[in-house]
Amino acid sequence: MRVYLEFAFKKFQNRLTYRLDFFMGIINTVITIIVFCLIYKALYGEADSIDGITFSMVATNFVISLGLSGAFDFDEMFLQNKLHDGSITNEFLKPVNFKLRMLSENIGDSIFKIIFNFVPALLFSIFFIDFCAPKSILSIILMIISVALGYLVLWMISFIVQTWCFWLFSVWGIVTIKNVFVNILSGTMLPIWFMPSILRKIVSYTPFESIYFTPVRIYLGEMTGKDIFYGMVVQIFWIAVLYLIGNLFWKNGVRKLVVQGG
Amino acid sequence: MGELRIALQSLKMSILAKLQYRADSFVATLAVFLREATGIIVIYLALMKFDCINEWNVDEMLFLFSLLFITYSIIVVLFADLRDFSCMIREGRFDRLMVRPRGLLFQLISNNADVIAACGHGMLGLVLFVVSAGRVGIHWDFLTVIYYITTVVGGVLIQGGMFIIFSSLSFYFVETNSIRDIFYWNMRRFAGYPISIYNKLIQVIMIYVVPFAFVNYFPAQYLLRKPDMEEYPEIYLYIAPVVGIVIYMAAYVFWRISVKNYKSTGN
Amino acid sequence: MIEVKNVKKYYKVAKREKGLSASLKHLFSRKYDLKRAVDDISFSIKEGEIVGFIGPNGAGKSTTIKMLSGILYPDEGEVVIDGFIPYKQRKTFVKNIGVVFGQKSQLNWDLPLIESFELLKYIYKIPQQKYDKNLQKFTELLDMQGFLNQPVRQLSLGQRMRGDIVAALLHSPKIVFFDEPTMGLDVVAKEKIREFVKYMNEMENTTMIFTTHDMQDIEKVCTRLIIIDEGRKIYDGSVEQIKNQYAALKSIEILLENGKKEKYTFDVNKTPMNEVMERLFSKFDIRDISICEPEIDGIIRDIYEGGIRVS
Repeated sequence: MRVYLEFAFKKFQNRLTYRLDFFMGIINTVITIIVFCLIYKALYGEADSIDGITFSMVATNFVISLGLSGAFDFDEMFLQNKLHDGSITNEFLKPVNFKLRMLSENIGDSIFKIIFNFVPALLFSIFFIDFCAPKSILSIILMIISVALGYLVLWMISFIVQTWCFWLFSVWGIVTIKNVFVNILSGTMLPIWFMPSILRKIVSYTPFESIYFTPVRIYLGEMTGKDIFYGMVVQIFWIAVLYLIGNLFWKNGVRKLVVQGG
Repeated sequence: MGELRIALQSLKMSILAKLQYRADSFVATLAVFLREATGIIVIYLALMKFDCINEWNVDEMLFLFSLLFITYSIIVVLFADLRDFSCMIREGRFDRLMVRPRGLLFQLISNNADVIAACGHGMLGLVLFVVSAGRVGIHWDFLTVIYYITTVVGGVLIQGGMFIIFSSLSFYFVETNSIRDIFYWNMRRFAGYPISIYNKLIQVIMIYVVPFAFVNYFPAQYLLRKPDMEEYPEIYLYIAPVVGIVIYMAAYVFWRISVKNYKSTGN
Repeated sequence: MIEVKNVKKYYKVAKREKGLSASLKHLFSRKYDLKRAVDDISFSIKEGEIVGFIGPNGAGKSTTIKMLSGILYPDEGEVVIDGFIPYKQRKTFVKNIGVVFGQKSQLNWDLPLIESFELLKYIYKIPQQKYDKNLQKFTELLDMQGFLNQPVRQLSLGQRMRGDIVAALLHSPKIVFFDEPTMGLDVVAKEKIREFVKYMNEMENTTMIFTTHDMQDIEKVCTRLIIIDEGRKIYDGSVEQIKNQYAALKSIEILLENGKKEKYTFDVNKTPMNEVMERLFSKFDIRDISICEPEIDGIIRDIYEGGIRVS
């Protein structure tokens, strides 16, 4: 465990050295949030609420989901680069679980971005955007737990796609296409409330809803009591399923690597 | 004549290089297409719910977007080397151009083309244009066609000029990509939508500082005449090519000064 | 052909200090160090000479080459090449020169050599006939028929370097600059390139300037040697002279029984080899011994510290 904390911390520390990146990150996140809030402001026009969804709920949805998605971007070429430069075989010789190492590095990275990109963007939003106040301390705590679960769902999806580098010349294209699906279907750019009903139905059967939308609904108090429990069970279900799929690809990929040689 | 030969040979080389990895290039093009389409799919779905944004309906929005993508697909054919210029300076590849008997800017423009981005953005722009152009009530006659073409040229010059300015900064500073990210990429995100939805500050930036408004908003207004045009001087409908030429000339002057400085200070 | 008169080039180098407060200060006020990259260098080169241009890293070699090829202005002094001032008349001047940057290829990585050559044909306005003739001659001399149509990324370093040399010579330049053309190549490839360079010099009377770290390049190819260090010219003369002077210099490396290594340099003219050996064996418990020619960097340092005066 210690060694993985170490990985996470190293990555966190690395980030600190690139100060420019860090200012850029804040600006990027803030501008993204502004663009979407202004678009919806214009869409709402004079209306107070549409289908029972107020503008400030939409704004809150954007701040949380877009803000977090800025912090949750992984280096998705990591595995491929390790494979192409041949260093992956050295990694296997170390007494470290490679997947856990990847995960802990990504977590270190994301925690940095949460603290230094998301939190400033959040503070900005609280002052300048019509942001919903939390229902209670409990809803914040439950949301944070749900965000952590959502992070794992997102990471598992990303991992599956990354493992395809064992078979593809480059995963860049497929990673990009995956991100298109995540961006559209997880509600970061289009609040899930406003999806056409057929699409919303489909999304509810996919893991995408579990990434950002569940935490957002918990925060807004759209989910209470049993619903929260149910929502988290769904999140855990997806983590488990995606983990098994990812593991299958990973095992086969590694076998292919060993058989054919690095 | 000789210049055209160089440009064609360079373009042929850029295309052949991508054909070396056919499958990968195909997937990458598709990925660019979809990545860029994301914002459009999202607004399309949103407008299924809301009908229109500041009285712009779905088709009009698609038309507005199409200009952004069509001009960008031309930009990456011509200005790909200038887009990646800071890297070129850092790796010392620019010195190679200086020992060839041709204009520096000409070499940069004729050199590489980002074929994948050009296809991805270009296809998206064309799809959007084809889907929307017939449905937004534009009466296509000789004048509008000429207007459309000059406006695209203007949009290319505006953005090309910006790329030249950002590239010139690479002669003075090591890290210029972040300046470009703020002034080009972030501003471009605003440009997909009618600028009338934004507050005054953003509008001023989009018209006078990073004039994306002349790339797509005002040209689209000329053809569509939406009511929100009332807020702006009518002359803006006609001057996109002029803005393009002015920015490009200014960029060229700045470039010349910067190259001279580079030659005297080195790197 | 090439006239360099009292050329100087200074750089301002921003001082960088570590730590957050220092880098914040750095944002507002910067302190500069003046680096004298080239400090008053003069020489002239006649048509058809092959000149080796050497010096340790950071001595000012590449800055000088940049001024000769029109990339940089000198701060003071003047360069005149074949009637042109390179940095003022860049576009017309560079038609007459070819540059081979050993570390920076100008070939398209993904495509066969021939595509890059075609592009250069248009850039330099080479008439088709001359292009065909040159290409045929070069591919024969450098033995390139086998890989002309293979993508560059599949070529060995030596093959790629031959491609780069042809690319720089297609337009029959009067002057060619070679910047580390043999670095990292194997012996056979190096030899092939040296032969070609000599041949081009003899047949076309091309003037050539070489920067290199490889003493063999100098010995086998160059007739004249210019050594610079810390921006100043410290030797300018024939290769013969320097060879005679320093052939007598050997360095000897010994490995002691206790695993320690020692290195000595001595002059065989002053202390004969057998005497050196005797002294060493009487003094140490020696496990292994190796004798080598001194390296170029060593010679330069030696000259700089007062060996030979510039004539």
